Amino acid sequence: MKNRQQGKISLVILLSIISVFIVGCWDSRELSTLSLIAGLGFDLDPATKRATLTYQSIVPSQVKPSPSMGGGEGKQTGSGGLQSIQLDHDTGLSPYEVLNRYTQHGSRIPFYQHTQVIVIGKAAAEHGLYPFLDTVIRNPAGRPNILLAISDNKASDILAVEDGMENIQAVGMANIIKLSARFSKYPAVTCLDFTSRFIGKTTAPVAPIMGVFEETGPEGKRQKKIRINGTAVFKGDKMIGKLNEQESSGLLWVINQIEKGFVIIPEASLEIIGSKTKIIPELTGGKIKITVEIEEEANLIQYNNARNITPDLIHQLEKAQAREIESQVKAVIKKSMALNADIFDFGGAVHRKYKKEWKKMEPRWDDIYPTIEVSVKVKTRLDEIGDINKAIMTE
Amino acid sequence: MLEKGRISSFQLSVLLVGFVLGSSIIITPGGDAGHDAWIAIALGLMEGSLIALIFTALVLRFKDKTIIEINDLVFGKVIGKLISVLFLWYFLHLGALVLNDYVHFFRLELYPATPRTVMLLIIMLVCASTVNRGIEALARCSLILVPLTISVIFLVTMFLIPHFNLNNLMPILDLPIGKLLWSAHSVASFPFAESVVFVMILAFLNKSEKGGRAVSKALIIAGLVLIIASIRNSAVLGPMVAAYNYPSYQAVQVIDIRDIFTRLEILVAINFITMGFLKISVLLYGTVLGLAQVLNLQSYRPIILPVGILMVILALTNVANTIELFDFTHKIYPIYAVPFQIIIPLITLIIAKLRQLPKTDGGIP
Repeated sequence: MKNRQQGKISLVILLSIISVFIVGCWDSRELSTLSLIAGLGFDLDPATKRATLTYQSIVPSQVKPSPSMGGGEGKQTGSGGLQSIQLDHDTGLSPYEVLNRYTQHGSRIPFYQHTQVIVIGKAAAEHGLYPFLDTVIRNPAGRPNILLAISDNKASDILAVEDGMENIQAVGMANIIKLSARFSKYPAVTCLDFTSRFIGKTTAPVAPIMGVFEETGPEGKRQKKIRINGTAVFKGDKMIGKLNEQESSGLLWVINQIEKGFVIIPEASLEIIGSKTKIIPELTGGKIKITVEIEEEANLIQYNNARNITPDLIHQLEKAQAREIESQVKAVIKKSMALNADIFDFGGAVHRKYKKEWKKMEPRWDDIYPTIEVSVKVKTRLDEIGDINKAIMTE
Repeated sequence: MLEKGRISSFQLSVLLVGFVLGSSIIITPGGDAGHDAWIAIALGLMEGSLIALIFTALVLRFKDKTIIEINDLVFGKVIGKLISVLFLWYFLHLGALVLNDYVHFFRLELYPATPRTVMLLIIMLVCASTVNRGIEALARCSLILVPLTISVIFLVTMFLIPHFNLNNLMPILDLPIGKLLWSAHSVASFPFAESVVFVMILAFLNKSEKGGRAVSKALIIAGLVLIIASIRNSAVLGPMVAAYNYPSYQAVQVIDIRDIFTRLEILVAINFITMGFLKISVLLYGTVLGLAQVLNLQSYRPIILPVGILMVILALTNVANTIELFDFTHKIYPIYAVPFQIIIPLITLIIAKLRQLPKTDGGIP
């Protein structure tokens, strides 16, 4: 009896020890064998139809704790920049052929689970993204919430620019996109957002456009920086146009993605604290009319004139603000009609309300869309006026 | 009696919830209905509950008898055994299909390099060892695993609420009615009516009069969990929900709470491990016990491993690839399962009623 019990105990101990050593033996992956791809760039040469991928991999030994964490000295500047990342390029006929070529020069297995952002070159976007998009979403390692950005030139240029605050450039780039979306300037578009619009047939995908610009740094050297400078509009998998700053904000107003941010009118600046948009379609006699109703609430954060704020003035500011929002919205609607790209998911709104009629409309949506009559109704409310209630200087 | 264990009606309910959640936790049923999947699940739940009524009525009519013994009583020794063998085939095949779901999911998402035989043998060893300990051990396992799984589902659903876009669920009833009904039927056949394997287990209830209520309660709870998961997936993934193989897994990948709670999809995989384990164990138990009864064995324990290996081999050979598995699950299985889930139990029940079995005054104890 005692012998049997001892045998059992030693078996349990043996199994525990074995289980420590053989966990995931076939699929074990060590950090030291992986190359963490932080950013992925996709370019296409329209003439030769050859794809180029740019991998921005993290070099773990060079990643230093950011200064805010304390202790670290931050990134060393001057000695060549980009130390914590490594850039690699490969070219081939299809995206996967290129991905495969990585093994010809990489010493580590590419690992896409931590990819922050995918940058697509302008030429590739205009030529059609389908093969690349399929590669990204079919791959189990790709995540649905990777951010997408379009480069206004080549994707490889953008991934090579050293960004100021972050150790890893792609992380910085992802943060730029997220910040601009938080302040309601440009949309942040994930793979999931993009493909959802893509699969919806009538809705046109959008993505922020990033560009490189140069400025003089603190030591007098020319420094390259990246910034978002527009929103790309797609029809199917091809990029067909670009929204400017004003139109991009207008887009966010219509698709109810205003979080916070500022509305600047000639005499004052207002901080948005909340907004809600409703898209109300109406079908009368075969014609579609769409009303975009925006209800916004803002605080006054700056007033240019040395005047006391009165209820009348608040009322005027509310109206001026509504006019400004309306002009942004009207601009983007005009642009989208001209491009004949339904970037607002008006089709979806019609589908939700008139599901029977939609079946006939869906195949003809390209003909219907530019004829839609859109009216914009903006209601604004000014809430707080800030810490002072008197003008601090009188005229 | 081959099985000496007895389980309470509560344990039966929990085990049944786990069984129904089984592989449907990862392959959301009604997927072909797009954003109307939750309606298909609700309708399928109704159909599944009706089917469950048939077999529970049948088994509870004969107290303490499994379907194998009932078949012998109702159809006589020869035909009864034949019908029993049909059931055994269904349990074995269903077990192999669940193993397939298992291995395809894990080899795609988590363990691409691990050989499927090894993966199947490991899970089968765990299931076999549980079955070896009898129905009571299995039921007690479910008492721990099922509440854990359901709370994980609710937790990740909470985390996903910020990503909900309820517009994605509109318009309701977008599908042609025929397609919706087919989808509902396919939901009824997988997973709800698969609970027909409990014809092997209902006999071991300590209070058999509570069996009917226990089964319907369990089906409703599992149905609600699946409806919530389906609404969540549609609201988060939008039209892409129909494109993904494993929508729950993709939806949970979206969770990102201040960069702290991210990459929670492993929770979905863990849910699938535990619920899949319960489902395979129940099916293995049903097959093994049934086979032992058909062959008049003294004990079912010696044949657990052989039958388990048989299930593994069937899983390795019956489908060639994932899309074949999905095709079978969505297009053929809803028809293939009808005889086992509805027709045979219904005929047995009718004949039993006509012959006024079981005879309470006769020699059958």
